[in-house]
Amino acid sequence: MLKLFEHDKLDVNNLTPEQTAIEVRKLNLHFGEKQVLEDINMLIPKNQVTALIGQSGCGKSSLISCFNRMNDLLHGCEVSGQVLISGNDIYHRKQNVATLRTRVGMVFQKPNPFPMSVFENVAYGLKLQGVQQRRKLDDAVEQALRETGLWKEVRDRLFESALTLSGGQQQRMVIARALALKPEILLLDEPTSALDPLATLHIEELLNQLKMQHTVIIVTHNMQQAARVSDYTAFIHEGKIIEYSDSDSLFTMPKRKQTESYITGRYG
Amino acid sequence: MAYIEINTHISVGFNKELEDLKNSVLTMGGLLEQQLSDTLHALKTNNAGLAEKVVINDREINSMEIQIDEECMRIIARRHPTASDLRLIMTIAKATADIERMGDEIERVAKLISHSNVPDSESLKSSMLVIGEHVLDMLKDTLDAFARLDLEAAQKTYQNDETIDAQYKDLLSITILEMQQHSDELENWLEVLWALRSFERIGDRCKNVCEYVIFLVEGSDNREI
Repeated sequence: MLKLFEHDKLDVNNLTPEQTAIEVRKLNLHFGEKQVLEDINMLIPKNQVTALIGQSGCGKSSLISCFNRMNDLLHGCEVSGQVLISGNDIYHRKQNVATLRTRVGMVFQKPNPFPMSVFENVAYGLKLQGVQQRRKLDDAVEQALRETGLWKEVRDRLFESALTLSGGQQQRMVIARALALKPEILLLDEPTSALDPLATLHIEELLNQLKMQHTVIIVTHNMQQAARVSDYTAFIHEGKIIEYSDSDSLFTMPKRKQTESYITGRYG
Repeated sequence: MAYIEINTHISVGFNKELEDLKNSVLTMGGLLEQQLSDTLHALKTNNAGLAEKVVINDREINSMEIQIDEECMRIIARRHPTASDLRLIMTIAKATADIERMGDEIERVAKLISHSNVPDSESLKSSMLVIGEHVLDMLKDTLDAFARLDLEAAQKTYQNDETIDAQYKDLLSITILEMQQHSDELENWLEVLWALRSFERIGDRCKNVCEYVIFLVEGSDNREI
């Protein structure tokens, strides 16, 4: 029979090491007495967009923060289990956290431009790494801004304050700042919740292009957004993964009743 | 007139999905056109083998309907289409169902030929070919109107069903007269009646697809209540 549509899907329970960007094994996270994540096991596919969805407080942001150890900064945080990137446990005591965070970039809910020029914002991470050569910085800034589709809009105002950009432009610039460090993985924690619908669509389209070069993991409380942008989706509830599969299956025929209830708006 | 542009979304992926979906209907329609054309050729040349091939190929059309249904469902779940995008997907889902049923009607005629059950009457055969050619023309015009989302063409083709209905009525009276003269072959003549009915039904389903195209392009529902 003639196949009319091609949709490549991986089985997230059976990824090869080459297909895997992050492997999470028996991950548990406590903040003091409170257990936030419970026995998380998952394989996150490389060069794909994976969404984490669930109610507020379900642990999705905490999980994404485990991938570049942002939780380390929180008081009372205790992690057990393993998070492997390229086969190495990022919670190993010898792991350099600064290096990890250049490999695993993160973008937050609200655009957080530094009060400096667009150029300085994007070059900030590189300068911290000790890159001083003007040519290198120029090239890296241009490339990162091109990657986020912002170059044409800001190339004539690179040395103006980043605070003069619109919200959507600021968020794309913040993504460019992360991309300038050429991360393998880009984590986005509700990156469009402060943006208008059009700016949101531009960011979503950007994610689709970024996956060619990077693995993208997005936390969103907007299910429609997860459905639009993600290749794979994990539904998290009370710190546990309830269902994790390719987004086509999850949003058309979820296997678990709890997922069905949540994505159809029946879940209280 | 409503505003239809498939390729102008911010999301390149969405543009492609809609374009692919529309093209898939044309692929399915193209196969259907071929099926009808082959059936008429088989009738003309008493080619039971070709008619058998048509019967087998109907499975391909059935499979396409399932695939297109799944894709419509996938796009609705993933993209939450609105306005013209939503009308396009609804149109495609419904048109696909009609195309699949047209495939079944063609299969019925093809079975009649493949089982060599067409009574030996030249006048009957030529009458069947005449209505069959009209139906084929209407099908081509319908698919063309859909491919170009052409409101005018859809409205014009919509009217053609009346001609086919009139032809069907005439043929029915002639066939009934023939049946009375050939009461020994009653079973075969009944099959002929069904085959004629199938041609008429294809005309009705083409009319349905034209209605969907009008709904899609104009944004107004043209169906009779």
